[in-house]
Amino acid sequence: MNVIVAVKLYIEKMATEAGSGLKILLMDKETTSIVSMAFSQSDMLQKEVFLFERIDSGRSNEKIKYLKCICFLRPTKQNVALLSQELRNPKYGSYFIYFSNIIPRTDIKTLAQCDESESVREVKEIYADYLCVTKNMFSLNIPNCLSRLEWHPEALKRSVEGLTAILLSMKLNPIIRYRGGSYNAKELARQVNEQICKESSLFDFRTYENGAAPPLLIILDRKDDPVTPLLHQWTYQAMVHELLNINNNRVDLSQVPGIPKELKEVVLSGEQDEFYAQNMYSNFGEIGSKIKLKMEEFQQKAKDQRKVESIADMKTFVETYPQFKKMSGTVNKHVCVISELSNLTTKRRLFDVSELEQEIACKADHSAQLQRIKNIISDETISISDSIKLVALYALRYERHANCDTSGLLSIIHKRQGSTNIIPSLIEYSGQHARQGEIFNPIRISDAVKLTRKLIKGLKGVENVFTQHTCLLKETLEEVFKGRDLDPMYPTISSEVVPFRRPPKEVIVFIVGGATYEEALAVHQMNEAGFKVILGGTTIHNSDSFIREVLFATQGVQFKHTKTLAKFHSIENF
Amino acid sequence: MSGGNPFDDSDNEGEIREGFLCPSCREDLKSVEFLVEHVEKEHAEERDAFQSAFKDFFTKAKRKLKVNFEDNRSGSSSEREIKPKDASGPWNNPFMSMERYQTVGKDWSHLEIFNQERNPRLERYASEANKLIIRLDKILTNRPSDPAQRRNHERNIVQWIDGSLVKLCPSCAKSFHIARRQHHCRLCGSIMCADCSKYFPISDAIELAHTTSSQLEEKDKLSENDDQENDIRCCDHCLHLLESRKEMHDSRTCRPPITLLYSKIQELKKEIFPDIEMYLRIRNSLCEGESIFKLSDASALRGKIGRMAELIDLTSKKILILPSVDGSREHALKKYIRLACVQFIKEEMLSIPQLPVEEEILKIQEIKKKETEQRIEKEREMALKAFEKYGLNESSPSRASNGESASGSAVKSLDNWSVHQTKNVQENEDILVEQINIIKNYIKQAREAMRFDEVETLEVNLRELQNEFYSRNL
Repeated sequence: MNVIVAVKLYIEKMATEAGSGLKILLMDKETTSIVSMAFSQSDMLQKEVFLFERIDSGRSNEKIKYLKCICFLRPTKQNVALLSQELRNPKYGSYFIYFSNIIPRTDIKTLAQCDESESVREVKEIYADYLCVTKNMFSLNIPNCLSRLEWHPEALKRSVEGLTAILLSMKLNPIIRYRGGSYNAKELARQVNEQICKESSLFDFRTYENGAAPPLLIILDRKDDPVTPLLHQWTYQAMVHELLNINNNRVDLSQVPGIPKELKEVVLSGEQDEFYAQNMYSNFGEIGSKIKLKMEEFQQKAKDQRKVESIADMKTFVETYPQFKKMSGTVNKHVCVISELSNLTTKRRLFDVSELEQEIACKADHSAQLQRIKNIISDETISISDSIKLVALYALRYERHANCDTSGLLSIIHKRQGSTNIIPSLIEYSGQHARQGEIFNPIRISDAVKLTRKLIKGLKGVENVFTQHTCLLKETLEEVFKGRDLDPMYPTISSEVVPFRRPPKEVIVFIVGGATYEEALAVHQMNEAGFKVILGGTTIHNSDSFIREVLFATQGVQFKHTKTLAKFHSIENF
Repeated sequence: MSGGNPFDDSDNEGEIREGFLCPSCREDLKSVEFLVEHVEKEHAEERDAFQSAFKDFFTKAKRKLKVNFEDNRSGSSSEREIKPKDASGPWNNPFMSMERYQTVGKDWSHLEIFNQERNPRLERYASEANKLIIRLDKILTNRPSDPAQRRNHERNIVQWIDGSLVKLCPSCAKSFHIARRQHHCRLCGSIMCADCSKYFPISDAIELAHTTSSQLEEKDKLSENDDQENDIRCCDHCLHLLESRKEMHDSRTCRPPITLLYSKIQELKKEIFPDIEMYLRIRNSLCEGESIFKLSDASALRGKIGRMAELIDLTSKKILILPSVDGSREHALKKYIRLACVQFIKEEMLSIPQLPVEEEILKIQEIKKKETEQRIEKEREMALKAFEKYGLNESSPSRASNGESASGSAVKSLDNWSVHQTKNVQENEDILVEQINIIKNYIKQAREAMRFDEVETLEVNLRELQNEFYSRNL
């Protein structure tokens, strides 16, 4: 169960089925991202794919008849229309057409009618219809999946397709469970189930005999755990996403002052970058010392490289140069990213902010925390977005507390010209009325704060004040694998009674409203421990994108649960 | 040899046993010495049959035994069972096993439906186009150059529609009169106005017609006066059919220089992989201190790989200088082919590890030799201990050490097994010498041809023969 391997196998299959010869890959916007998550351009060159073309953007009319054209497209109406045009007037010698999902028969007939020059050699469905982020995480890149707290129809359709694809590419025919009480999760579960029943011949995989539990697809709802995406993260991958934003494995560094031209956009992919693969889950302290080691190693090598005296030295130099060059690129890139992270951490005083965030999330001490929040958010050196996140956490945490003073805090935010409407929106989205399960559990970490605060630097994997919080997903998964009765909280979609109480061997988790890299870490740890889990989400959130999603989802909704905060609903009300 | 070989796949008992098994009765004899003893005593009369069994046994089982022997050499006389290499099994690291076994996901081909829909249409078009081409061929044959005669000639081949029946141009719906005259499609005989007539170029017509019949002199004659006069007037429908046929024909037959050069590169790449693999094997073998290959073999192969790299480099440069418009896709294609070749050379061909120098190899060989000697000594001691323990002292231990002075490897000590069985077959010896010489010759030839995998098997054979020879002469 490795999603990157699954996508890679599919793409390799396409390249080999077309046979040897010069090839071009024709893609749409989404499939371009899907391919680029699994392969770099140089990988594709070695598979004899030399040119890439987007079907939906201005294309040249140059005919190159000796090229084989591999079309890898999503089965949308638009793509079928564009492909029909292409086939009527073919630019290339032969066409191998692959759709990334189930395509209606009528569309195939339409295409067949257009192929007058008999240039189509293959028409196939392959199910690489998701972005593989890490070995065990995928995303569908739907930034705002809800409107008025309900599924956006397009987003729902895409999610059903994405989940169908992941099941087919893993060859799983699962039991589907959804988070009880969440209309959105249930709707998605229902439609995925419908699709499986409709295409039962496709889902005809091995049966599960002898009481072995079938795989499980569990659909969760982001509103159950709004805290995880709001907290500041300290593992490498999560931190980069939080502070610099990872988009399809790419990080835009062009805003960093004095950045060299070749590092304006860097690729962080575990497939192509060994250092990243090893360290994406390391915490910030570890990563600092690791990159230092790597630097030293590199400098040593650079020194060796410099003393080219004899012919033999020269020969070694030439032979090791490609690796040297590669290493220099990697080291450069990570030094750049890490130094930017550490700049931002200092500038935004993230140690202070994060400590308080963790305390709100994990410890019950209302009055002391309120005081600290007041102090910290009135401090002009703390950025307004960090302040808003602190207040958001407080508001969620003490929503029903007798002395809850959210409005007081919001006044401070307002004084600093921050946008206050985030907090009521967030409570509408995932306040206590919407949640299930207890996300704030003071017993969970008891007196972790009493631990002497350690400096992050040089810290080796020790639980510390900055990583006290564990995401809800981790607990859910633990319950799943312990074989607990899931029925009350996570009912199954099909009416059939599931007789098994045994824990499933394979679990796919999908979070409506987006997953986070903290959850990716939890899933990674589960996999390391020997469980097979894949995590997916409509998108991958950092705090900013999560807030955007919440604002988008609550737009135009009648606010029922935050009447006391009415004056903060929009800035104009003042 | 019925059931004599414990490694035979057709083992009817379905049980796999390992250890020092007697090839005849499958008894586990625990050590070399015991096995030799056992065979001597129990199976002396079956000697001849036994000998052939042994040969087979050796070739089939040598490699397996070697591994097995080395694995178990310290285990002395304890029962040897098959144990999984990793005792913890795949469950200990499910992630690794998952990745290893992950197969490509589900797919679903729609080619059948596609063809069902497409092929009848194509057939219809094809038969129509064929009809036109036959007519075209007839029109071109003995085509008069005088316009009036040509007209008659064309009318004789295709039945023209009666002009009085058509009042309007079928494609633009304008009426015919003195200024807008009727014209006929030369291929189907239909009527249209001058504006709606199309022309099929005579050169294309000749090319298309000639694919079905060959009239070369005709072509020369017609292509002399190559102006619009000669092009064939036809309707839109016929033109489309002919043009698409021509395009299909062109794209099937088109082999521009870029594809030729590219396929040459691909061939070279395919050729080089076994060489690289062989090179790595030779290098490993050298570093292990084995003497199957020589250092010169490896450097010769290295030189060959280098030459191939240059050849690929050169060919890809040739592709790069092929003419093309700057900024066109073809231009980009050429650049990327070049890039891919450079990448391939860098990563696959130049990154092969360097060879150790002569002295290093000698040193390694020296160390290995010592190690094996020590090991043999140790084995012998252990075997002796076991011997005493079992109290089987009828046989003389000196026999066991017979082959030792000659043996340099674990394999050779195994050869002890066959020491005494072949003594009486003197006439075989000359044949053996001859065989050895032949093989030596072969090895030389194979070396020159750089077929190192052959060298390897031959060397192994040679060694076996030499051992055989050696032991018989003792």
